[in-house]
Amino acid sequence: MTNWLNENILWLIPAAPLLACLWIVLVGQVIGRKYAHRPLVLGLAVSLAASLYLLTVVVPHGFGHDEHESSHSVMTTVYQWIKIGTIDVPVTLRADAMSALMLTMVTSVSLLVAIFASSYMKGDPGYPRFFAAMSLFVFSMCMLVLAGNFLLLFVFWEAVGLCSYLLIGFWFHKPSAAAAAKKAFVVNRIGDFGLILGIFLIWQTFGTLDFAALFESPKLIDGILAGQPDILHWICILLFIGAVGKSAQFPLQVWLPDAMEGPTPVSALIHAATMVTAGVYLVARCTPFFVHAPYVQMTVAGIGAATALIAAITALTQYDLKRVLAYSTVSQLGYMFMSLGAAGGGEGLALHAVTFAMFHMFTHAFFKAVLFLSAGSVMHAMGDVIDMRRFSGLRKALPITHWTFLAGALALAGVPLLSGFWSKDEILAVLAAASREGEHAGFYGIILAIALLTSLMTAFYTFRAYFMTFWGEEKFPEEAGHHPHDAPPAMAVPLAILAVAALGIGLMTGPTHLYGHYLHHTPGLPHADEFPIDWLMMGISSILAAVGIGTAYQLYVVSPKIVENLQRRLSLAYQASQNGLYIDWFGYKFIAAPLRGLAAICEFVDRWVIDALVDCVGFIPGLFGSIIRPIQNGMVQNYAAVMMLGLVVCLISVLRVLVETH
Amino acid sequence: MNAAIQQLNNAFSLIAPEAVLLAAVCLIFFAAPFLVNERGEAPVGLRHRWGCLSLLALLLASCVWWQSPPVTRTLGPFVLDELTWYIRGLTLTFGAILVLLHWNQADDARSAESHACLLAILAGVNLIAASNDLVGLFVALELVSIPTYLFLLLPRRDAPAQEATLKYFLLSIFSSAIVLFGMSYLYGATGTTNLSGIHAAFSAASDHRANPLVAVATVMLIAGLGFRLTAVPFHFYAPDVFQGAPTSAAAMLSFVPKIAGFVALLRLMVPATGAEQAMNPWTMTPAAIPLLWWLAVATMFVGNLMALMQTDIRRLLAYSSVSHAGYMMVGLIVGMAHEHQKADVLATVSPNSVSGIGAMLFYLAVYGAMTLGTFAVLIAAARTDKRIESFDDLSGLSRTRPAMALLLAIFLFSLAGLPPTAGFLGKLNLFFAAWSQGTVEGQESYKWLAVILAINAALGAWYYLKIIGVMFLREPINRSQQDTVIETPSLIAAGLCLVGTLGLFFLPGWLWVPIQSIMP
Repeated sequence: MTNWLNENILWLIPAAPLLACLWIVLVGQVIGRKYAHRPLVLGLAVSLAASLYLLTVVVPHGFGHDEHESSHSVMTTVYQWIKIGTIDVPVTLRADAMSALMLTMVTSVSLLVAIFASSYMKGDPGYPRFFAAMSLFVFSMCMLVLAGNFLLLFVFWEAVGLCSYLLIGFWFHKPSAAAAAKKAFVVNRIGDFGLILGIFLIWQTFGTLDFAALFESPKLIDGILAGQPDILHWICILLFIGAVGKSAQFPLQVWLPDAMEGPTPVSALIHAATMVTAGVYLVARCTPFFVHAPYVQMTVAGIGAATALIAAITALTQYDLKRVLAYSTVSQLGYMFMSLGAAGGGEGLALHAVTFAMFHMFTHAFFKAVLFLSAGSVMHAMGDVIDMRRFSGLRKALPITHWTFLAGALALAGVPLLSGFWSKDEILAVLAAASREGEHAGFYGIILAIALLTSLMTAFYTFRAYFMTFWGEEKFPEEAGHHPHDAPPAMAVPLAILAVAALGIGLMTGPTHLYGHYLHHTPGLPHADEFPIDWLMMGISSILAAVGIGTAYQLYVVSPKIVENLQRRLSLAYQASQNGLYIDWFGYKFIAAPLRGLAAICEFVDRWVIDALVDCVGFIPGLFGSIIRPIQNGMVQNYAAVMMLGLVVCLISVLRVLVETH
Repeated sequence: MNAAIQQLNNAFSLIAPEAVLLAAVCLIFFAAPFLVNERGEAPVGLRHRWGCLSLLALLLASCVWWQSPPVTRTLGPFVLDELTWYIRGLTLTFGAILVLLHWNQADDARSAESHACLLAILAGVNLIAASNDLVGLFVALELVSIPTYLFLLLPRRDAPAQEATLKYFLLSIFSSAIVLFGMSYLYGATGTTNLSGIHAAFSAASDHRANPLVAVATVMLIAGLGFRLTAVPFHFYAPDVFQGAPTSAAAMLSFVPKIAGFVALLRLMVPATGAEQAMNPWTMTPAAIPLLWWLAVATMFVGNLMALMQTDIRRLLAYSSVSHAGYMMVGLIVGMAHEHQKADVLATVSPNSVSGIGAMLFYLAVYGAMTLGTFAVLIAAARTDKRIESFDDLSGLSRTRPAMALLLAIFLFSLAGLPPTAGFLGKLNLFFAAWSQGTVEGQESYKWLAVILAINAALGAWYYLKIIGVMFLREPINRSQQDTVIETPSLIAAGLCLVGTLGLFFLPGWLWVPIQSIMP
């Protein structure tokens, strides 16, 4: 049994949601439409169990730090499509410590979101469709994480993009939802283009796309570096462009806030566990490449910092509760990239930089999920109104939602001892370490300053949203009816579990180094010494969190008048923040519009030049046919004559060649 | 005396599946007249029994085939190597599909004879694959040809069928004569009729100049067998015969003679003993390759360009079968060239490049599945009063019979070479085989062959997609649900072909692994 499990655990994880998807599509549409969530919940439960088991398979000897020797990756070839000559296309699944941790996060959060959605989506005419798409989404994400080579990764990278399109545009009859889905897809495609170019370049350079071959043998990379010292820079920058698209980094972050048009569980799924984490995963996975490209790592850190700052500034003034959270996601992803980029700060930092980025992703998944689902619960109670100006003081009406949202908000703000604190603090610490030494110390100093500033703003905007929603006088919009209901059990239970995770999972796995030491077993990651605890950064970040929360309390609970004054005085800055620093507008004006012009020109050329040429070519076969046709006249003697003639021609030509060669 | 019996026994064991088929043929021919009365009437539903009997015979032959794995080659008249084994599997499988297609095509009174003819044809193809002697080879070729004449005429003895049969008959004996002529020259050049002996004679030749006798023999053999392949310019009969003959006979003609022709060419031209000696100007290869090169190019272009102009669906499929013969000839040429250079440059060729002969044999199976599937749908979608002839008969099929339209669309997609169908994979293999051969120094012409193949695949897509467009985009022309018949056997055949067409895309290894053991 154990042997069987060890061998088959890999395909079990994606197969369960895939089967759920097939079942819902083929059967669930007709039979038991109301229970379409059941296959998905069951499938995800199986996946989660399998992922947890996988944790022990990948690193069999516990979670200790000393056993680097025993670390290994598990591989299964699920399906060998074709192996003919040089063409060899296997579907290989591969799991190591990093993917196992990722899968645990993906499946657990998805499971809770699925349970939440079973109640949230009740009564929707597209109930089975929603769960089918969600199953496919989780399946694609699991396959993306389990992919054993870049090609498979790319396939499911695209599949994730497709599923996000289906889910964001779930209410496709709403024009805004359809537009948002299209935007997400198109912007993602820009990043994907970079990724596929990167993959081509890897194929060109290394001759293989297999993770095991590429990442587990430093000799291969060293050999390439000796011949082409710059090639890894190009590869890394292209891969990073892919990550920028998927993880919504500047300047491709524009799709993520609009993705709020989808149902709230989808937002939770996209923002917390799946999709956006793929970019971080990709960069972390390719660490063996990135360590050889310090300038790319600095770019990563710079882009991360810019994204974090821009998104945080935008989040300060949003009135749409979900949009605040969306911008905070973008900002937190920026954090993760800052951390990944900090690997360029020095030899010994690479491992810690990756670990802390992955750890922040891990904790972020839980607290962002609880925040989004709580926002969904608010929306549910308020009759789909999400504008914070139209409701307030929900603390008494929605006690469960209030507490779970508070738990998530505290964790996100980085209040000491909660999840966000540990992971964010580590990122600050590694940035501080990078800014202390090395040739790029100054650069990382600026990044650190931005990170700290963002941290302050994070605490502020999170609690601004919290106070505006749950404090102040009790006010409901008319859509909510007379008496809003708090979350029903199917929604409350996942909320509660996620809230507890948001509070405790950081403490459980952060300072105990449970997460970090486990992740170190990933083959291919560089080795490094223990990372010292940075008490200074801890202190500063605690103070910043306190200041941020305090300011929010002061401005939105104690004396809301100040806010109105500020709005009037700084109206320009306020407008800029409200409109996301006009990046969207800029994109439409200066990128989309010229492209549209180009498209018009291309259309003209296509219609009047290319088409005309093709029509000319199309005329040739007809001409040719009309020459041959007379021979094909149905007369058998004619046919025999032509055959004879053909034979004679063949004979003469062969004999002539023969004579010439003699 | 005992030794002779022993030898006979051995030879017989090599062709046991054919013996089973021919025994069934004899049984049917013998029994059939007793079941028909003086006025030529038979009990209603008799054809079902003959169909079942044919399937039973094929099943029995398959069991025998499965029980007789390849054995080492001897100098006897028959061989049972991997190629024989593979071709037998192919003919027996597709033979069953053809029996299903033919099920309701002949009326009860003539069903027996036509089924027997079909079985005899299949046995003939198998014998071609098993023969190791020129005489055996020729007899086997005739065992395919002669029953074919009957098979074309028996089901419907109306004027078009008679005309088609007559045309096929006259041109077929013409081509048989050419083959025989070539064989006699080959015998004259080598002094033996045994194929192993002929190849041994080639390798033993010390003369380093090409032999004109062998060259003439090569041209004659290619021309004669080119008739079976429907290679241009020996293809003229195909459109007329396809149009006039019953649909099941057209289906048979589109596929079975191609196996026969290609296997005969393989047996004649490629020594199966491994080709250490193949780099010898005495062999047939130096004359055959440039000739086949041009014939393949002409076949591909003429087939596709003529198909573009057709409005009759059968004529179109006839030209389509011509063009597919061209694709497979590409594989054959590349394979021959590959074998021919074995001795010296083989070391420089990438060892895991796609083998041309393997690609051809793979394509043969794929082609069988997709083309027989197309004909199966044409039979199954026919109306009681009128079979499907022109595009108009297919227009709007997606409204009147959506499942049929979808099936036909899949087969046409495969014929056009689009994924996810086996046709795509087959063309891909052929293309790669030609391309990798073209990368060898001094063999750039194969790269051109690959390019021409790709161009022709694009040309082909044009008319296949046109049919799909007719089915899905046009309005039905006075078709109603009432006058459709349920053709269960053809539907089963179409289902089997569908499994093949899609299955060979997703799991090509099933076929590819046995193919790889065929050629050294």
